[in-house]
Amino acid sequence: MEKKIFIFLGLLGMSFILLAITVALPSGAGFDALKLLVLLVAVLADVLAFASRYYAYLMIPMFRQKKRFIILNDQTPYWLSSSADSVLQKEGEDFIATVYINVPLYRSATEMSDEEKINFTQQVSRLVGLSRDPARFTSELYVMNKDSYIQKLRDTINQVENEEAKATQGGASQSEIERVRGKLAMWRKMLDNVSKATSLELASFAAVSARGSKEFEAVTLAQQKARELMSGIGTTFGVTPSIVVGDEILKFIEPEYLIPFSTVSEQISKNVQEQVI
Amino acid sequence: MDQEGIMYLVFALLMPLISISVLPAFGGGIFTYIALFIILVGVALILMINWVDFMLFSLVSNLLNISFQPAAGYKLVKGQDAILKEVNGLYYATGFVTGNLFAYTFKEEVGEETEDPMKLAGAPEKWERAIIGLGFPFKYHVVSAGLDVQKVRDDLEGKRSYKEYQLSRAYVNAANEVTITDLQRRISVIQAKIDRISQGEKPIATLMYVETTAIGISEKAALDSLTSQIKALQVSLSALDVDLIRVVGRELYTLFKFNFSLPTSVEELSSSFDQQG
Repeated sequence: MEKKIFIFLGLLGMSFILLAITVALPSGAGFDALKLLVLLVAVLADVLAFASRYYAYLMIPMFRQKKRFIILNDQTPYWLSSSADSVLQKEGEDFIATVYINVPLYRSATEMSDEEKINFTQQVSRLVGLSRDPARFTSELYVMNKDSYIQKLRDTINQVENEEAKATQGGASQSEIERVRGKLAMWRKMLDNVSKATSLELASFAAVSARGSKEFEAVTLAQQKARELMSGIGTTFGVTPSIVVGDEILKFIEPEYLIPFSTVSEQISKNVQEQVI
Repeated sequence: MDQEGIMYLVFALLMPLISISVLPAFGGGIFTYIALFIILVGVALILMINWVDFMLFSLVSNLLNISFQPAAGYKLVKGQDAILKEVNGLYYATGFVTGNLFAYTFKEEVGEETEDPMKLAGAPEKWERAIIGLGFPFKYHVVSAGLDVQKVRDDLEGKRSYKEYQLSRAYVNAANEVTITDLQRRISVIQAKIDRISQGEKPIATLMYVETTAIGISEKAALDSLTSQIKALQVSLSALDVDLIRVVGRELYTLFKFNFSLPTSVEELSSSFDQQG
């Protein structure tokens, strides 16, 4: 039996026992007030019993920890399978493996005729009806990762700054110093332009999960489901979907991969500078 | 409401019913009235939890200033309307909005004769126009699962028989034209669904939601930015004629967990969502 059923029955039982106590208490001036108090606790236990259906996951830690910051789970929410093609999570005694499928759809409505548009919506309708087991189809708009490019620009700027310092201190000719300064201005302008606005990318992907009593069992089942889904997607849209592996999976899970750090921190610092100015 | 929900409600309401039957034990007078008041407040709370639990529990955590840790590295804020993650001193706030697009854009819940092909043709363009102006990351998720064809067909045939019975009664009682037309329309809608299943279309259960992530140099900045992003999404996607309600409470927690693992059965999927959107 599920844990939440025990909580429900326990609280409901407590509520009935308290009600019985209320009725059994003798009548009298002091006892009537006590009866009301016991009834109040009984009603509260009954309300909590009902709430436990949805909120058992919050109620138990709340009563146990009695703090303002309640830890529902102190484990990392997932880990990557050894084959690096699935995300694993432990739930009770079972393992749940989730596989992410990249769907390479690069068609725009602007280049479709009316008939193609109708066909496309019908293909999408077919897509969501592909799997008998729950599957998730996602269209994701995310910030393009310019981290490595920005880093490269910063390195170049540092290098040219050194060059400029050497030229100034080493008594290089004025034209040489001007040339280096011009180069520096160019790279700075380039960094400015790159980080001025965020560039966004659109990706489509599907995800499917499977449960197993062992890690490898869950992964194998999820991979099998993913392959079935991939063949359906391929037939429907005429594209070749692929299973996402390694760090690429994080793009669909972790928020910091939606908004890459350097790309955004550069923009934030620029916004702050603009506000200060 | 599913069967489990009904069972919980019935058992939870049993206690107030019994309490009312033992009201004379409170000695009459003011004590009886106070006891009745306590019982009625309990009933009201149970009914509120049944229909608007997400409002009630987020209100409680907001008032008591309680926040949660759903997994290591994540924080569920006190209003239970966003999940925060801190990476390299930057805060990523993630929020969810319901968005049941399917019924409108891809196949309306109406009979074949009223299905407008131009509406279908306009869907991809509307979608592109809606997202083109959004300069922040978001994900549009469609979780779908195939239903038991025979069970859905039996249910629909049952509904059609009932409507046909109502229609025959309407004819016998010489009901007005509006009632008859309405019943005929309902029958044709059900018949259209049965025909689709007969033609090989699979009945599916779908859940659609939008997830967006905002970034900030402090928790407050990230949360404020998230709120403005959600408002922008609501304005932008409203062109698709969908209900865009910000998800709070337990359903937000469930959607957060969906990023790492999906439900593996239709029952698991449907038991998590029955309130918002």
